[in-house]
Amino acid sequence: MAKKRHHWIVRVTHWVNVVAIIIMVGSGLQIFNAYPAFARKGELFCCYPFEHKPVPAWLTFGGWLAGARNWHFAMMWVLVVNGLVYLAFIYLHGEWRDLVPRKGDIRDSWQMVKFYTFRRKDHPHQGKNNALQKTAYFLLPIAGIFAVATGVAIWKPVQLSWLTALFGGYVWARYWHFIAMVVIVVLSVVHVFMVFAVDPYSLPSMITGNYDEKLSPEARNARPFYHLFPRRARATPPPEAT
Amino acid sequence: MTEPRKFLTIGGIDRREFLAVGGGALSAALLAACDSSGPKSAEKLLRYAERKNLGVERALFRHTAIDKVQAGAHDAGNKLPSYFVSPTVPVWDESARGKWALEVSGLVGKPMRLTLDDLQRLPRVSNRVNHYCVEGWTAVETWTGVPFTELAKLVGASPDAHYVDFQSFDDDYHESWDIESAMHPQTVVAYGLDGKMLEPAHGAPARVYSPVKLGYKNTKYLTKIVFLPKMNGGYWSDRGYEWYGGV
Repeated sequence: MAKKRHHWIVRVTHWVNVVAIIIMVGSGLQIFNAYPAFARKGELFCCYPFEHKPVPAWLTFGGWLAGARNWHFAMMWVLVVNGLVYLAFIYLHGEWRDLVPRKGDIRDSWQMVKFYTFRRKDHPHQGKNNALQKTAYFLLPIAGIFAVATGVAIWKPVQLSWLTALFGGYVWARYWHFIAMVVIVVLSVVHVFMVFAVDPYSLPSMITGNYDEKLSPEARNARPFYHLFPRRARATPPPEAT
Repeated sequence: MTEPRKFLTIGGIDRREFLAVGGGALSAALLAACDSSGPKSAEKLLRYAERKNLGVERALFRHTAIDKVQAGAHDAGNKLPSYFVSPTVPVWDESARGKWALEVSGLVGKPMRLTLDDLQRLPRVSNRVNHYCVEGWTAVETWTGVPFTELAKLVGASPDAHYVDFQSFDDDYHESWDIESAMHPQTVVAYGLDGKMLEPAHGAPARVYSPVKLGYKNTKYLTKIVFLPKMNGGYWSDRGYEWYGGV
């Protein structure tokens, strides 16, 4: 039956992360809208096609620039501490082994893509996560670390100028900070979509910690929106009363 | 024998569903309690975080950290935005207010009034540096003026002066600074921009300029520099922006 799937530290840091990321992205976009461009004054910027076009206000958080900055500079500590707790935990407790890339991951990812696009009939065999999940959950902390590092670089471009220089100077560091956000948002949106479309049973498992392997996507042979419900057990005659 | 049902049921739904539904309801309640700038009760927490950040930022601050303009960066020139809080460009009206002079006072040995000519006779530097705006843009400009350290030496600033207030004739605009940022080697009381005398659009006759502070901390249209034992807020600092505003 139900097996322990997520340690409580993983569950707590997961949901703290949800709040922290939503607020960091929303307040970050509000800050971005104060000057929705990357070019230094008097220059042009090569690599952003939407210079001077603000993002929709409904994506922003914090009300105005100062409010958003206050949120951003407060929540950044929550994000960093939470991230460190999570990384320290998976390192010490061994969960990193579920996420670290291994030989064959690319092949396995390709098999998952083939399965999702109906070019393969049966769900590839997997461990705790499928190969695509593994890749996403491995990339997310890296994107997070990158977001924090580029964020510090544009917070302290004079006092920590060596860090800002590492990312190509202030203008580029600000751009990479934006790109890190885009990567995190894309990974998160796909993650949430797949939870609902493929494995809604994993949602309670991130709350209670318990997961019934009989309901796993592999057991259900589930693609997005296919076989959402468990296969009905074959009718077996009731055990005879003794 | 039937399988024992392990889950507590609440109103016909089991614990898992309850938690899933409850989680959704909780998030909805949280969102409802927020306006666009977040829950009101969070304000105290945000102010607490700002005070903690102030400590971190001041601990991180070094006079040896010097702003450098990246190779190949272009000067902003006339692309530098003009900015003030008065309804029109503040211009010092000599006929009404007499000759402009900068008052340097507070915790100093020799309070002074320095005319523009006086300032120009003091040691002069030109710094080609970045301008970091709170909005996120940067601009390269060359500021010419008196190093703040020279001014502090001239008036005999007291060691008890831990803060400096830069006041202006742009309405009630002012911003107070920590003394270490003011004493940074790139902080100048500037009367020149890009090789020309400062124009009213950018803070004439004189303004403070330092790449270690965000634009809004660099008061334009200076009237007074006051050395203080305590911080004295500022125009934007009192309206929600970080008091420190350092980069």
